[in-house]
Amino acid sequence: MLTRRIYQFLIVYAAGLALLLGLKYLAGLSDYVIPGPSLVWQTFHDVWGRYAADTLDTLTVAVLGQVASICLATAIGIVGRQTTWFGNFVKVAAYNVQAYPIVALAPIIFILLGDGFITRLAIAAMICYFPLLLVVLGVMSEPVEEIEHFYRMTGRMRWQLEVKIRAFENLHKLTTVVAGSATLAMAGTIVAEFIAANAGIGYSIRIALYQSDLGKILIALFLIGISLSVYQALLEWAGTLVHRRWEMVEGGAVP
Amino acid sequence: MQISCDDITLAFAGAETPVFADLNFVLKGPGFHALFGPSGVGKTTLAHLLIDQVRPDTGRVRIDGCPRRLYSYNLERLPGWSSVGRHLERITPPTRRARCAELAVEFGIEAVLGQRFARLSLGQKNRVNLIRYLVQDFDLLIMDESLANVDERTREQIIAKIKVLFPDRFFLYISHNVIEVARFCRQVLVLRGAHRRPRALTVPGLDGETNGDSASPAMAQTMLTIMNAV
Repeated sequence: MLTRRIYQFLIVYAAGLALLLGLKYLAGLSDYVIPGPSLVWQTFHDVWGRYAADTLDTLTVAVLGQVASICLATAIGIVGRQTTWFGNFVKVAAYNVQAYPIVALAPIIFILLGDGFITRLAIAAMICYFPLLLVVLGVMSEPVEEIEHFYRMTGRMRWQLEVKIRAFENLHKLTTVVAGSATLAMAGTIVAEFIAANAGIGYSIRIALYQSDLGKILIALFLIGISLSVYQALLEWAGTLVHRRWEMVEGGAVP
Repeated sequence: MQISCDDITLAFAGAETPVFADLNFVLKGPGFHALFGPSGVGKTTLAHLLIDQVRPDTGRVRIDGCPRRLYSYNLERLPGWSSVGRHLERITPPTRRARCAELAVEFGIEAVLGQRFARLSLGQKNRVNLIRYLVQDFDLLIMDESLANVDERTREQIIAKIKVLFPDRFFLYISHNVIEVARFCRQVLVLRGAHRRPRALTVPGLDGETNGDSASPAMAQTMLTIMNAV
């Protein structure tokens, strides 16, 4: 799982790099526009330590933002699954609000909260929140009639059991969207750093952009890709582990 | 114990013909009764009417002496996070643990109690599902093809056992097997096609408890009456 993700990224990265170098040599562009392989290698040696720390910083914010999103989406999904007016209100509101581009709200958050950690966390959480919410709402709103029928008939159904049944039956869907939303959380954090933050790999890319240093940007992209691949692979592995463990529990408690 | 329907009319939104129009019948319990009829005639819809899951447009459903009503059907599943035995243990009231164990042996699923529900055959799944309903509190149990995919001999053993163990309960067994309903059921409620009047006929069954002779004149006559009623 991990090696497959890294291989996939390396192939895409190498293809992109080859395209840039091909363009450089075909169009006769200078090292100032597109640096050559030796210059990129030299830049890597110069900045990889600092950039790796920045990437780790960004990844930490992204992970925390994603965890916050998962908690919020789960809570809203559980409330929104109800067929009461409040449940329907939450569901409709969630669908309508997600149509608005959250990135457009980023400047307001920066004005209100400044350019520190909380702002990056908020934007990361907001960007990966809606896809998570839509899937959790969809899963939690859809009864698994052939399992739930018995509990309803015999008066045993409780909301915890209902949530457990629906989550168990859709575990693959839930773990897939959690792994997928990691990319969005990372993208959200980088966008936040790129706009106005004072730390993280997005901030370093912004400085490199002002210096027109494509070599640094390529190194940053490489580190972002590798760290995201590792993180997504870990999430997929955790999802598989949860599924396997849950299925193996010999008497998983039925409330 | 009695189930009766008086002038029931029910049409689903958008349907050209109503499912029921002027449906009238009376079934007197307790005992093992059948609901018989061709596919699509409204057997499951009638079951839903009897457990108040569907309301009739007009008319009245009266169920006397059966305050605790259950409806089981053959596509139900158990949650996948525990074994069959563990699940049965959880949902069986403590006073009926012995009955549950007895049914597991009688229904031939004792050997699969340690397995996951998903790994069982369709017939085993249906037997497990039926057991968990039989150990609940109920006065009326509607069994919607609850023994589908179970071989004939085992099915007959199960029905005979149910009749012996629960003589004071009301069972309504939905089945397409005319031999089975004729032999084992006290009354067979036959639901007829949408354009036939009356929509339902009640045919007395043989109400047997053991494997009878399907070639006997009484059996042949009962089966013929049921088939003519359809």
